[in-house]
Amino acid sequence: MLVEESIQSAISSIKNNGVRSFLTALAIIIGTAAVIAVIGIGSSAEKALEASIDDLGPRTLSIFPSQRKRGGVSSGFNPLVIKDAEALAKNTEHNWLVAPAMSGNRQVKFRNSNMNGEINGYLPVNFEVRGFDLGHGRLFTEKENLGRKRVIVLGSKVPGELKTSAKQILNKEILIAGTSYTVIGVLSEEGSTGWQNPDDDLYVPLLTAAQRIFGTDRLGWINVGISNDTNVDYVMMTIEQILRQKHDIGPGGENDFRINDWSQFSDLRRQATGIFTALIAGIAGISLIVGGIGVMNIMLVSVTERTREIGLRKALGATQKSIMMQFIIEAVLLCILGGLLGVFIGTLLLFIFTSLNDWIFYMPISAIIGSITFSALVGLFFGIWPAKRAAKLDPAVSLRYE
Amino acid sequence: MIIKTENLVKEYEAGSQTVKALSGIDLSVEKGEFISIMGPSGSGKTTLMNIIGCLDTPTRGTYHLNGKSVSDLSEDELANIRNKEIGFVFQSFHLLARNSALDNVMLPLRYAGSNKSEALIRSNEALDQVGLSDRSTHTPAELSGGQQQRVAIARALVNKPSILFADEPTGNLDSKTGEDVMNIFKELNSNGQTIILITHEDSIAKQSNRIITIMDGLIKSDIKD
Ligand SMILES: Nc1ncnc2c1ncn2[C@@H]1O[C@H](COP(=O)(O)OP(=O)(O)OP(=O)(O)O)[C@@H](O)[C@H]1O
Ligand SMILES: [Mg+2]
Repeated sequence: MLVEESIQSAISSIKNNGVRSFLTALAIIIGTAAVIAVIGIGSSAEKALEASIDDLGPRTLSIFPSQRKRGGVSSGFNPLVIKDAEALAKNTEHNWLVAPAMSGNRQVKFRNSNMNGEINGYLPVNFEVRGFDLGHGRLFTEKENLGRKRVIVLGSKVPGELKTSAKQILNKEILIAGTSYTVIGVLSEEGSTGWQNPDDDLYVPLLTAAQRIFGTDRLGWINVGISNDTNVDYVMMTIEQILRQKHDIGPGGENDFRINDWSQFSDLRRQATGIFTALIAGIAGISLIVGGIGVMNIMLVSVTERTREIGLRKALGATQKSIMMQFIIEAVLLCILGGLLGVFIGTLLLFIFTSLNDWIFYMPISAIIGSITFSALVGLFFGIWPAKRAAKLDPAVSLRYE
Repeated sequence: MIIKTENLVKEYEAGSQTVKALSGIDLSVEKGEFISIMGPSGSGKTTLMNIIGCLDTPTRGTYHLNGKSVSDLSEDELANIRNKEIGFVFQSFHLLARNSALDNVMLPLRYAGSNKSEALIRSNEALDQVGLSDRSTHTPAELSGGQQQRVAIARALVNKPSILFADEPTGNLDSKTGEDVMNIFKELNSNGQTIILITHEDSIAKQSNRIITIMDGLIKSDIKD
């Protein structure tokens, strides 16, 4: 019954000094709102990242040529070539999909329209590894690749850039650096991956590209598609073995290629997001502590203002403990109310932010519970001293206080 | 004997000098007495009430309440005595402004740890005793001065204390409402309630059955009828 009275008294005291209570709680409100919004944005970003990784479908490793050093001296790039990809494809141990590619910019012409487009030499399997879907027509076949046929598949935005439509350009001839190619398919829109936009690119069979367009068998990279349950380290070891053998690298020699694990990259990105979120949330948390000092200040004022009330309560039999409890409850309640308002505002900010950016709205409950608990603890910590002062007041002196 | 003090002295340190508020008070009070304490301003009346009401401790001297020495009790034990054995009525009422009359009366029971239903019954009884059961939901601002003081009396009575202290209870009231409040005290005393009342007015003091006059922290006269 005493606790009930303390809560009632705290509520009426906070209500009675409405404006003052609000201003006091403002730092708590802003702090909590900031913590909630930042954690929410971080979590939503992570959710979006997870979704985009799931979009990638099977896991992909990418092999790039890299510098080779001999005795500490760089001896230039040792290229990855089509034969390397063929060697990899011969290995069936991992059920992997080997997708070699080369690319370069060339002038593209259709009727009177020109564009500078990135031409990619692909195998049919490359589309599968990258998870591209076909919008119109068809993809090229292995036979067309081996026959070095002049066929081409366009990214979804290419017809537009050539001032035509997918339907109109299908089965027509376009010119790549003066040679004509038959458009056999148009991809559906894939969207930018952040570092590449497949919608702007053009795709020809790898051997066609090697022989007719780029005149080289040097590859830009080799993607290796593996299923999600594969042991990545083991796959990487196998790739290393095959390529080192192909490139005649003896024991102790450095690799002249490097293997990227994209999911590792996104792990890193996720880690970075996490660290960033924690940092900002920490800074916002400091504003909660600053808010706590404000609460302490106003509680000290409140104790002074209510000296006579405290004297009276003691005359009626209040112990030091019950006076202390009353003021601590008031401080904690003030902070919890501030925290609740802050959570509301922070969630609103997150909602606005995510809808503006077309993100998934995601707010972890633990962040809400955590930040309200933290504000309550701030109230507890900074309420103790003023409450102690109230409890220690001399009743006889307090009753005389004007 | 409810109260027995011997050579009570209270000194205050005020800057460099000490103020002697009480210079040696020997006082005995029997159960059922109705005592008035008179004396000029600053003579030590409130100081004496605070000490025998366990709100303050003497610098020297002994004080026994209900046969028990009070001087070596802890803060919490003193709070418990104030809660159970003593009722205070003040000149300026000292009601909690935002609480209803009933909630004000109930406050000592909350500190006593009573359960709610019992507290409600006893608080309503106490309000009934001072004739205010129809005003229990009113806040102090909605009550007249006399009514506020009656709520304060109900609050002082609600824990059935051994002694009721009143420090100039009619000081802020006109003579008519002051009379009403005095009638309540007389009624309570006739039912056996021990009352110690501080006043400046002879007409009030005359209604009690023992008048103690204090001067410069000493008892100057002590007249029983
Ligand atoms: N906390 C204190 N510190 C210093 N001096 C005090 C304190 N409390 C009371 N005094 C002094 O003690 C003396 C007695 O004060 P007290 O309040 O008991 O007088 P009183 O008889 O109740 O007067 P009044 O009729 O005006 O209420 C006064 O001189 C007062 O100034
Ligand atoms: Mg006085």
